[in-house]
Amino acid sequence: MKCAGPIDVRDVDESYINIDPIQVGGRLTAEAMKAVIAYGDGYSVCDNCRKPFRLDQIKTPPVDQFHQDLASFLHMDVARVVPGARRGFQAVAGTYVQKGDPVVITALSHYTEVLSVEGNGGILREIPDRDNIITADAAAATIEEVSREFGRPPVLLFLDHFDYQYGNEHEVKEIIRVAHQYDIPVLYNGAYTVGIMPVDGKALGADFVVGSGHKSMAAPAPSGVLATTEERADEVFRTTVTKTDKTSRTFGVKEVEMMGCTLMGVTLIGMMASFPRVRERVDRWDQELINGNLVVEALRSIGGTKIRSEYPRKHTLTRVDTLNSFDKVAQTHKKRGFFFSSALRDRGIAGIIPGATKVWKYNTYGMTRNQAEYLAKSFVEIAEEHGLPVG
Amino acid sequence: MFLFTDLRVMLRETAPVHSLDPAGRESAEKILQKIESQVSILREELLQ
Repeated sequence: MKCAGPIDVRDVDESYINIDPIQVGGRLTAEAMKAVIAYGDGYSVCDNCRKPFRLDQIKTPPVDQFHQDLASFLHMDVARVVPGARRGFQAVAGTYVQKGDPVVITALSHYTEVLSVEGNGGILREIPDRDNIITADAAAATIEEVSREFGRPPVLLFLDHFDYQYGNEHEVKEIIRVAHQYDIPVLYNGAYTVGIMPVDGKALGADFVVGSGHKSMAAPAPSGVLATTEERADEVFRTTVTKTDKTSRTFGVKEVEMMGCTLMGVTLIGMMASFPRVRERVDRWDQELINGNLVVEALRSIGGTKIRSEYPRKHTLTRVDTLNSFDKVAQTHKKRGFFFSSALRDRGIAGIIPGATKVWKYNTYGMTRNQAEYLAKSFVEIAEEHGLPVG
Repeated sequence: MFLFTDLRVMLRETAPVHSLDPAGRESAEKILQKIESQVSILREELLQ
């Protein structure tokens, strides 16, 4: 069945249990799906845009209130919606990073953090990991090294609370404390936290909190949030001061790093429509971890399988090593590595890269208990069917 | 369309086997009745 022309109907989440590590937290709520139908047209949230003509000031639909609610949800002072977490990184880097400035990221940072710094001519230095965890001690040592190398401290530090590779938790609060001793502003990357678990930016001491709408806030892509403190808001959300030379035009209260307005239609309305449920669901994170651990334990019961992420798990995104289990089967199976994704597909499970049997990631976020049990049972059944030891 | 969305979410929550418990069946039944009623209204208003 086709949606339009060559575009197939997408039914991954209706026909399968989807365990794609980057998709599960961004699945729309029923409310967002309905709002998206009504607000699909281009500038649909702009019907009632009045002076001063800026997105965060629109009262109908209540975009202005949503911005305040977002800031309060993250325990920050000011928030703006952005087209994806990466655009939040870009806005902060654009504000604080000049050519040749040192910027600290971590050994597990997302590539978009790298690009946002590169785009402004900054020079990156990484905090090394220890067993895939970023510690405050390592951060302090890196800041010291960078300060010696450049003769000044880094101008910015990017920090992922839970990284995208392992779903491991890092010493965020402690690292922020260390960075602040050197007056380094810290960007908290909450792409895998904001919208799925409680985040208190103020308690963590973050200068900036960035979240991803399409990754963790049940919103269409590209969407996200950049929140900050009162102190930093005037810097990162500075307004234009330009007056053009021939026409003497000025541009009111448009914010430079936001390029004026950001999300003008379906992305924003999807975020807004999901928000009441998102605000509730973060308090059910413990239940999500219970479901996740049920699946982790099933995988651990399969001989030769190792959990590469920290254990016990603190996140639903998990990296698993099946080199000595499913990959052994793949070596002699007629479908080679594709046997595994094929066996999962036959059981109504999707989201693992076809052919992957060595080291792979999955995410159980948003499953019902029945679905988590079904997934756990399926992994074990596939192992048993192929003669792998279980127990 | 909104009623179909409610059914869509139900399919997601019960994937991949879509076996509904008694409460789920009751909800699905209500949604389907509403869809039938809406279709009747559309038929009357658009085609007569």
